[in-house]
Amino acid sequence: MDNEKLKAKDFITIGIFTAIWFVVEFACGMLGYIHPYIVAAYVILLPLAGAVPMMLFYTKVEKFGMLTIMSVLIAIIMFVTGMGYLGAPLIILAGLVADLIAKNGGYKSFATTVLSYSVFCLWICANYFPVIVTAESYRHSLIDGGFSTEYADSLFSVINPKTIAVLFVLCFVFGIIGAFIGKAVVKKHFEKAGIV
Amino acid sequence: MKLKLDPRTKLFMIFVVSAVVMMSATTPFLLAVRIIMTIVPVVLLIIEKHFASAIRFLALYVIALVLTFRLISEESTGFLMAVLVGYCGIVVQFIPALITAWYVIRTTKIGDFVSAMEKMHVPDGIIISLAVVMRFFPTIKEEYMSISDAMKMRGIEMGGGNVAKMVEYRMIPLLFSCVNIGDELSAAAITRGLGGKVRRTSADILKMGLVDYLLVFIFSVAMIIFMVFKYVI
Repeated sequence: MDNEKLKAKDFITIGIFTAIWFVVEFACGMLGYIHPYIVAAYVILLPLAGAVPMMLFYTKVEKFGMLTIMSVLIAIIMFVTGMGYLGAPLIILAGLVADLIAKNGGYKSFATTVLSYSVFCLWICANYFPVIVTAESYRHSLIDGGFSTEYADSLFSVINPKTIAVLFVLCFVFGIIGAFIGKAVVKKHFEKAGIV
Repeated sequence: MKLKLDPRTKLFMIFVVSAVVMMSATTPFLLAVRIIMTIVPVVLLIIEKHFASAIRFLALYVIALVLTFRLISEESTGFLMAVLVGYCGIVVQFIPALITAWYVIRTTKIGDFVSAMEKMHVPDGIIISLAVVMRFFPTIKEEYMSISDAMKMRGIEMGGGNVAKMVEYRMIPLLFSCVNIGDELSAAAITRGLGGKVRRTSADILKMGLVDYLLVFIFSVAMIIFMVFKYVI
C-alpha cells in the first residue's frame, strides 16, 4: 500500500480539500481585521474550524505524499494571496512531518491521525513569520499600509518572539482537541451516511 | 480584437504582483508604481469583457485609496474607525494581488493552464491539484449559495443562535456535496485520460506573442524599479 504511487484521483482529492481548507481559512482570516487579538487567536480558531474537513480528508489518505502536496499547495496559495514566502519552508516541513507521522500509523490509526493533524496545524504559525522575523519593517509597512498605530501595537504585543512558543503550543493543543471534535462530527454525519 | 495571453505571462504577473504586494509603498512614487501595476489587470479584465468585475474592483480600490488618505492624516481612534481604517488598509494592500488572481482565474482555461505548467516542468501532482483548486472555488461558492437558500427556506440560517450549530449546518452539507462533486470530477478526468502513462497533448498550442513579451517586460521593470527605489535609494 505504501509503495503505491499517487493516482489522478488522489490529486483531485487533494485539490478539493485544499480549496475547502483555504475557504475556511479565508473566512476566519476576515475576522482578524476586526482586532489584532483575533489574529493571534487563529491558532485556536483554525485548528477547530478546519478539523472537520481535515478529518474527512484523512479518511481518504492512504498513500504517502498527499499531505505533503497539500502543504506545498497551501504555501503557493499563501504566496499568491500576499502572505509572503518566509513561512513556506515551515508550511512544507509541517506537511512532511505530518505525513510521516500518519504513515507510521498506516494512515488508519486514530492516535497517529490526531498527532499528525496537530503537527499539520502548525503551518498556521507560519503566517506569523513576517511579523516576527521582519518585525520593525513589518510594523512600518502596516502603518504605512493604512493600519492604525493602535492596531500595529496591539498586534505586536501578542505576537513577538516571546509569545511565539506559546502560540505554537496552543496551536498544537487545539489541533488535538480539534481532531477529536472533527472525528466525532465525521462519525456522526459521514460514517452513518456511508460516504467514508 | 481578441487578446489571448499565454498562461505563463499570467503566472509571471501573479508572481510579480504578489511580491510587490508584500513590500509596502512608503513614498508617493512607489505608490504610483503600485497603482499602475493594479491598473494593468483591470484594463485586461475590460479587454476580456469582464466589465462588471473590473468596475467593482476599480471602485473598491479607488474608494479604499481615497478613504485611507483622508482618514490616515487625522488621528484615528475608536473602534469603528479602527475597523474602517483596517479594512481600507487591507484593501489597498492586497487588492492588487486579488485583482490579478481573479483575472487569471476568470480568463484562463484549465487546459491551457495545465499545458503551460507542463511546459515549465512542474511535477504532475502539483499541476493536477492546483488545477482542481482553481476550478473548485466557484463550485464551492455555488454550493454554498444553494445551501444558504435551503437554510433560509427552513428558517434555520442562524442555527438557533448557536455558533457551533451555525458552522455545522453550513459545513456538513458543503462537505457532502464537495466530496460527491470530487468523485464525479475524477471519474470525468480519468475518462479523458488524466493520469495515463502517455504524454498528453493540448488542442491549443501555447506561444508567447508580442503582447506577452511586452507585459513581462513592463512587470519586470516595475518590480525592479520598486525594489531599487525601496531598498537602494
